[in-house]
Amino acid sequence: MSLKTDRIHEVEDNLLATIDYCYEQGWTDGLPVVPPDVKRVEEMLLFEGRPPETVLAIHQATELECTVHAAAVNSVMAGCKPEYFPVVVAAFEAMNEPDFNFHGSTASTGGSAPLLIVSGPIIDDIGMNADVNLFGPGNRANATIGRAVRLVLMNVFQMIPGLSDKSTQGNPGKYSFCIAERARNNPWPLLVQEQEYPPGVSSVTVFAGGGFCNVENHGGNQPEQVLGSIADAMASYSCITLGQSVVVLSPEHMRIVTSTGWNKREVQEFLFSRAIRPVDGMKSMGKFRQREYDKQHEEGQGGHGTSQLIQDGQMHRGLGPEDILVIMGGGDAGGHSSFIPSWSRGRGSIMQSKPIGVCIDCD
Amino acid sequence: MQLYDPTVKRLQRNFNRASALTNLEGKTIGVLENGKLNAVSMLQETATLFERRHGCTVLPMFSKSNASAPAPKETLQTAAQNVDFLITGLGD
Repeated sequence: MSLKTDRIHEVEDNLLATIDYCYEQGWTDGLPVVPPDVKRVEEMLLFEGRPPETVLAIHQATELECTVHAAAVNSVMAGCKPEYFPVVVAAFEAMNEPDFNFHGSTASTGGSAPLLIVSGPIIDDIGMNADVNLFGPGNRANATIGRAVRLVLMNVFQMIPGLSDKSTQGNPGKYSFCIAERARNNPWPLLVQEQEYPPGVSSVTVFAGGGFCNVENHGGNQPEQVLGSIADAMASYSCITLGQSVVVLSPEHMRIVTSTGWNKREVQEFLFSRAIRPVDGMKSMGKFRQREYDKQHEEGQGGHGTSQLIQDGQMHRGLGPEDILVIMGGGDAGGHSSFIPSWSRGRGSIMQSKPIGVCIDCD
Repeated sequence: MQLYDPTVKRLQRNFNRASALTNLEGKTIGVLENGKLNAVSMLQETATLFERRHGCTVLPMFSKSNASAPAPKETLQTAAQNVDFLITGLGD
């Protein structure tokens, strides 16, 4: 099969020299890669039931295609174990949905990175970290699944910094940006359950994240105080737009928020109603756009059934409470939650999810 | 050691530029704004120059809501059928 046989490089049987060879070919993200040895790639492919030439994602501008095989090669290079591969596959299937617009969110000066949020039993099955140092280093699955996404973007889709990736400053998540939703002591239904996938199925949700914002609040002990801090970050003049949001509540903050019985919908509504800036303030920053205001106040009132939350004279973040994805993650100790802003200035990318390793309602 | 190449081959396609207009006098202009902050203002001003200097006719502005995504095919088809040339730009 030409897909595989005419794309093989014969190199000397010397690991360090081969790592250097990968650098010389321009195949890395700046860090050393695991050489994509044929045997390792074949082992990776055993975790995907479809033929290796199956196309997972197509770049709209260049028509470059990511096949199962290409994803497997890059997953090996990222350091993935074969059992991680279904997460990478599902992530690209999600990113391939037109509304995710992975070309735009990857090429833009905005410098976003695809944040992967994994939910469900696969987290324990493959040993992902949903706990201490959630966004940080130390867990192979989190680190290498996120890195595989970046290597595919660079090697397959040629999103090369300075060429087709024009990020002004980028963000550290462009090396790897993959987390797991914490199930332990989580008082709410998991994300995968909200997404209504069948029991036992896991999901990956992709979100074009513009960075990472730590929200510290160790003094507040009421839901309104903790959530008020988060809403303030969401409404920052640096990033308030019609875009979606991801909020990861730390377990400590979650305990405070749910201590008086708040459910997720109530949290979303509170955040939406409080993540606001006055029109005059937006104008003073040069960031007010009438048509965005009109869209929010017309669609928000009509389309989302949240008319009581939309305030005249205020710009909210997003179009409605459902634009704010809220999950729990991180270690038990610490009043540190996080807010992940959307890419750049709006709704150029809408988050998507896919089931992992299974086909539901597909051909 | 045998390594798989992690890149993929590009499709071979032939792209040809449209032939240049021989003059601009009295031509019909389309303007496509991309939704960015100053795009409408910048493109209106540009189109006005073509009106003033070359007697061009400017059609109502075409829009796309997402600067980073291709314009809808219908928009491009409509523009192609009705204009002699089309102006677009970033407007940041």
